Amino acid sequence: MRAFIIFIVGILFQLAAFSQEKRILIENATVHVGNGQVFEKGLVGIVGNKITLVRNALAYTYKRDDWDTIINLDGHHLYPGFVAPNTTLGLTEIESVRASNDFREVGPLNPHVRALIAYNCESDILSTVRTNGVLLTQTTPRGGYISGSSSVMLTDCWNWEDGAVRQDDGIHVNWPESLQGGGWWAEPAPKKRNEKYEEEKQQLYAFFDQARAYQRKEGESEDVRFAAMKACFNGNKRVYLHANEVQQLLDILDFVARFELPFPVIVGGYDSYMIKEKLAEKKIPIMLPRLHSLPENDGDAIDLVYRLPFILQNAGIKFCLQNEGDMEAMNARNLPFLAGTAKAYGLNEEDAVRCITLSACEIMGVEKNFGSIEEGKNATLYVSTGNALDMRTNQASLILVNGNFVSTANFQTDLYLKYKKKYGL
Amino acid sequence: MRILQSLAICFFAFSLQAQLPVPTNGTPLKPQDSFVLTDVTIRISPEKTIENGTIIVRDGIIQDVGKTIILPNDLPIISGNGRVVIPSFIEINSSIGLPEVKGKGWDPSPQMDTKKNGPYYWNESIHPEIDPTDLYSVDGQAIDELQKMGFGLAVTHQADGVAQGTGTLVTLGKQNARDQIVTPKIAGFYSFRKGVSQQTYPSSQMGSIALIRQAFYDAEWHASYGKEPNYSLDALWQQRLKPSVFATSDAFEILRVDQIAREFGRQFIIVGSGHEYELGNIWDTLKHTLVISLTFPEAYEVKDPYVARQIPLADLKHWELAPGNPGYLFQQKVPFLITTTGLKNAADFWKNIHKALALGWSVEDALRALTIAPATQLGVDKQFGTIEKNKWACFTLYDSDPFLYDAKVTDVFVKGLRETKITLPEADIRGIYSLNIDGVKHILTIAGSCQRPEAKIGLPRTVKDEKSLTEKRDTLTVDAYLNYTENDVVLQFSMNNKAIENYSLKGILNTRVWIMEGQGTNAAGKWIKWSAIRNKGPESTKAEPVWTAKTDFRMNPSYPNMAFGFDARPKEETIIFENATVWTNEAEGILTNATVVVKNGKIQAVYSGSSSYTVPAGARVVNAQGKHLTAGIIDEHSHIAISKGVNEGGQAISAEVRIGDVVTADDINVYRQLSGGVTAAQLLHGSANPIGGQSALIKLKWGHLPQDYLIKDAPKFVKFALGENVKQANWGDFNTVRFPQTRMGVEQVYVDAFARALAYHDARVKDQTIPRDLELDALYEIVTGVRKISCHSYIQSEINMLMHVADSFGFKVNTFTHILEGYKVADKMKEHGVGASTFSDWWAYKFEVKDAVPFNASLMHQMGIVVAINSDDGEMGRRLNQEAAKVIKYGGVTEEEAWKMVTLNPAKLLHLDDRMGSVKAGKDADLVLWTTNPLSIDAKVLYTVVDGEVLFDRDADLKKQQEMEVERARIIALMVEANKNGEPSKPFVRKKRGAYHCSTLGEELSTGSNEH
Repeated sequence: MRAFIIFIVGILFQLAAFSQEKRILIENATVHVGNGQVFEKGLVGIVGNKITLVRNALAYTYKRDDWDTIINLDGHHLYPGFVAPNTTLGLTEIESVRASNDFREVGPLNPHVRALIAYNCESDILSTVRTNGVLLTQTTPRGGYISGSSSVMLTDCWNWEDGAVRQDDGIHVNWPESLQGGGWWAEPAPKKRNEKYEEEKQQLYAFFDQARAYQRKEGESEDVRFAAMKACFNGNKRVYLHANEVQQLLDILDFVARFELPFPVIVGGYDSYMIKEKLAEKKIPIMLPRLHSLPENDGDAIDLVYRLPFILQNAGIKFCLQNEGDMEAMNARNLPFLAGTAKAYGLNEEDAVRCITLSACEIMGVEKNFGSIEEGKNATLYVSTGNALDMRTNQASLILVNGNFVSTANFQTDLYLKYKKKYGL
Repeated sequence: MRILQSLAICFFAFSLQAQLPVPTNGTPLKPQDSFVLTDVTIRISPEKTIENGTIIVRDGIIQDVGKTIILPNDLPIISGNGRVVIPSFIEINSSIGLPEVKGKGWDPSPQMDTKKNGPYYWNESIHPEIDPTDLYSVDGQAIDELQKMGFGLAVTHQADGVAQGTGTLVTLGKQNARDQIVTPKIAGFYSFRKGVSQQTYPSSQMGSIALIRQAFYDAEWHASYGKEPNYSLDALWQQRLKPSVFATSDAFEILRVDQIAREFGRQFIIVGSGHEYELGNIWDTLKHTLVISLTFPEAYEVKDPYVARQIPLADLKHWELAPGNPGYLFQQKVPFLITTTGLKNAADFWKNIHKALALGWSVEDALRALTIAPATQLGVDKQFGTIEKNKWACFTLYDSDPFLYDAKVTDVFVKGLRETKITLPEADIRGIYSLNIDGVKHILTIAGSCQRPEAKIGLPRTVKDEKSLTEKRDTLTVDAYLNYTENDVVLQFSMNNKAIENYSLKGILNTRVWIMEGQGTNAAGKWIKWSAIRNKGPESTKAEPVWTAKTDFRMNPSYPNMAFGFDARPKEETIIFENATVWTNEAEGILTNATVVVKNGKIQAVYSGSSSYTVPAGARVVNAQGKHLTAGIIDEHSHIAISKGVNEGGQAISAEVRIGDVVTADDINVYRQLSGGVTAAQLLHGSANPIGGQSALIKLKWGHLPQDYLIKDAPKFVKFALGENVKQANWGDFNTVRFPQTRMGVEQVYVDAFARALAYHDARVKDQTIPRDLELDALYEIVTGVRKISCHSYIQSEINMLMHVADSFGFKVNTFTHILEGYKVADKMKEHGVGASTFSDWWAYKFEVKDAVPFNASLMHQMGIVVAINSDDGEMGRRLNQEAAKVIKYGGVTEEEAWKMVTLNPAKLLHLDDRMGSVKAGKDADLVLWTTNPLSIDAKVLYTVVDGEVLFDRDADLKKQQEMEVERARIIALMVEANKNGEPSKPFVRKKRGAYHCSTLGEELSTGSNEH
């Protein structure tokens, strides 16, 4: 069969005709594999929704006729879809409009509450996040001591069922604050010890004690809360422990040991640099705080947060980036630039890519199919005309989600074009 | 001559004493306020002390004082036994004897107007008419504590609100409340705090400042032209002539009070916060008397290192330096008084005075600050403040000089009326006595201090050792309770730890032969006789002063006194950046291998290529090979460095408030933003109301004082706001009261405001008696284009509306800030000539930003509008270079044009482009040296220069971090020491005293306590 040879311009129009089982070869791309490797002249073959071939073009000869479609990327950068863990993306549309928010349930202990079913595949925000390269997300509830269960989702889908990469991948525990206060950035105030810290911590212990006891029971009537907790003890669900202060982190290590949690993950870990040896020894992975945030304390180094990835990498701790904080849903599109900052402050470029791709997938347990451009993995890929970790050059030229081509436009580009046209620009 | 003098004395004495007759029940008891006090050391005044002096008091008035004076024979004589007399201290900032001011309780629904009946000011925070004299009642306990500190007079007032009312001078004695009143309305009191008022206005410090300014203007007007009664304004006007005491809560508030003082030609007595030393050497420009609290911060609990590391360096440093504040101010020749505000007891008061004396303060100045200085400020120095002829006999008697020794107040004299606080022993009874109790020989040892002797009883005995069966002689010793007053001696003790088997002895001491004799009961309760004879007198011990000058103490605050503060105020340097890639923002574009010379705070020259030039002497030469030099970033929309409220949202219009009044110089975000290359910013009022406050245009002058942040002769700006914030759409269900609640209402707020401003101005031109209105003044500036608008805006409809309103009044909107739907009306904006300052990519945080697109900046730029990218965010402010880079991504603006959006374009919008925004000879030396292309994600700042001062230097920053670690460790070590010495030992001291009373566990306890 004679291959279509397509250049990047006008690609979408032509691709609309393809069916899924077509064999597609992407050539002439800088392939950032996601595992630390890079191919300056890379070849990536896709059949259906699977990656079947990843090669260095300079050391591999191939028959062009084997492929239905060959896409010449003309030196563009090919990345595994970026991963935005721990976010309300898909659960909110307009922050200040209560009716559009679906991420905070009532009550302190809600492991049974599932973010997945509220995930809005048609969210306008999703469309703007996708076009910057974020193709996977961990949709995560908020609030209480246990917010609920998150799920790993594609950012392009018809409904939550087909969008789910891993349903209910873990529960999210908001560790009690060991310190309180702190004002806000315009009027900072020193923090004080939380007098109720021990008491609050004991509530978590008590709940986990009960939940663990429950899972050993047989033939009892279902308690939805404890049922949702079961998988946390047998390793089918991760336990995401949200905490930043060193006191909390140390207490979490005890907690993890006490309940023999198979897959604990620390989310935040601002102070992780202070106890990095311990964390490395316990092999607990960390989803770092939003890198673009202010130092917690007046006296902290101005770039402390920027440097955390480098510090943790040198300590041998597995980590990835996430973006929890102000306007986190819309801000998820800036995730690649957080990785760019990690690169500016110590990581090499491929390690920076890794911390928003493969590392995140490993931490969430979806690395078998996602997170890197390797044979056998799912074809969820992002192509940028230039370095996607730099604001100036992150420019979508091709997006593949689960083997499907996804538009590089969104309602914002539409509005832009509409008004350009109005002004005759 | 002599006759004249005595006449004058008589007249004056009479004027103090003359009273209206008051009917009494029965024969009136003559007050016992006439006596002679002899054998005392008298601190007559700060300058003069006499020993072995005598004071003659008649009818409460000092008749004479001196070393050798003729004693009258009709007065009782009190022997001072070498005690020390000091004039009564005067507390100027007290609320003693007054009920606590209580609010009405929280109400979620906003209260716009005053709820006070009667002809009072429209705002409940202004109540100068409050005279607390009627409310004064005697608070014996509080008086007792102040007396123990040495105070005999206080001005008491209700510390509530902005104009708080007057204070009343009272004496601190035993008299009833009426007799304690010396002078009502002796001073006026002010603060920046709103107090218990529930009115929505003011809701910020800048609002309080505007309110007090307006009230002062109103009072002045009311005095001349006011036809309607207004008790508040009458009172305010009268108080301008009285001492005016202004409370502050941080060092920068002193500068704010000074601004008000200058505006109204007034002097204030400013109650400080204890942080005054942080202002450095500026006191020759501040002509106010301060009132300094002797409350020094307590050491923090630093046992938990994870908590300890949270303590800001600022607090650590202040803990160490605060006790040096009085000494520092003294050396700076700042006149100041002392207040006890915040002190809980007399012991702390004296402890802290001694601390301050050890750190550079003088005894004479301390005495002045506590006595004659407040008396002079209050205008009562003819009656109080020293121990001199014809003044009231208000003084305190101490057992030794309290400024030097651990002394106790023994007697207090208030207008000649004596009140004895503790009775001292007549003689020093210490020594070793042979004690004979019912024929059995004991040893009585009296030690301790002369004033507080402590006794032990020893019983020599023979003990048989049970193992060796040998006999051993030893002495069984127990503590005894001893009380010695007048000549009576009481001894109580138990020889076998059992309280029930108690000896209780009473007798008299003959101090001529040192023999005690008396009767008492033994352990069995039987009456017995006892006697004791002294074998050995006390070893003469000269008291040691409780403090010695700490010569190694250095008052070394950093500037500002916190993390990343400088050791000294930064100075401009001559700097040469060589071989740099220079983004000029001028026609030359980007120069490579260029040289930029900085001198006298300005860019002196820009050489491209290999031009030759002379290196001025003392210049810092920076080899910028491979580095990029740009103009400093200017943030058109910032809220950093603002103190106590960015919004005065109490009313729909607050054009009278000024951010410039509340700029603070200790916001760490200033330093952080310098590290991101920001050198200037417009500090905007918040967006809570359609017409907000006046902006402050600042440079980020880290290390300087707030006034040095303000750009000199900067154009005038004001904040406007549209949309959801001003209609309070997201403020919850109770905030549905304030007009406007819709975009429709917002338009009419403007139309009405501008129309009123024009009418006001016309009226004022014709009629001088129209009162000045600060809000209308500002509105008139706006409507005439003198004050430019930076308007928070989102939706195209409202953007369009404001341009129409402005057009209809014949002026132009200067800048739309945020302006997220600017792309929808860019043609209209272009036509109006308005600029845009926007976010690079924010959206989805509220309903009105649903259609915000990141292509907005680019599209407006393509339409020819001057576009800036701003932060409105403390974090993003330090990454504005990255935000500019996003404009390249979203819409393909060129790198140079994108860079201008955070430098030259905001300078244009702020009308500062003649001095900032590009790298051009003659402009301000606000420069940033980057590691690489500033728009790259890899770019980092190496140097940030503001007005020729290097305010961020990456290498110096790293060094500073290490120094800060050392400094923290040093101060925390001192705190650990203080934790050991002070805090945990305090309960121990009390325990030990208790132990003496129960006598048996004394030794054990004191051993245990020595662990500390």
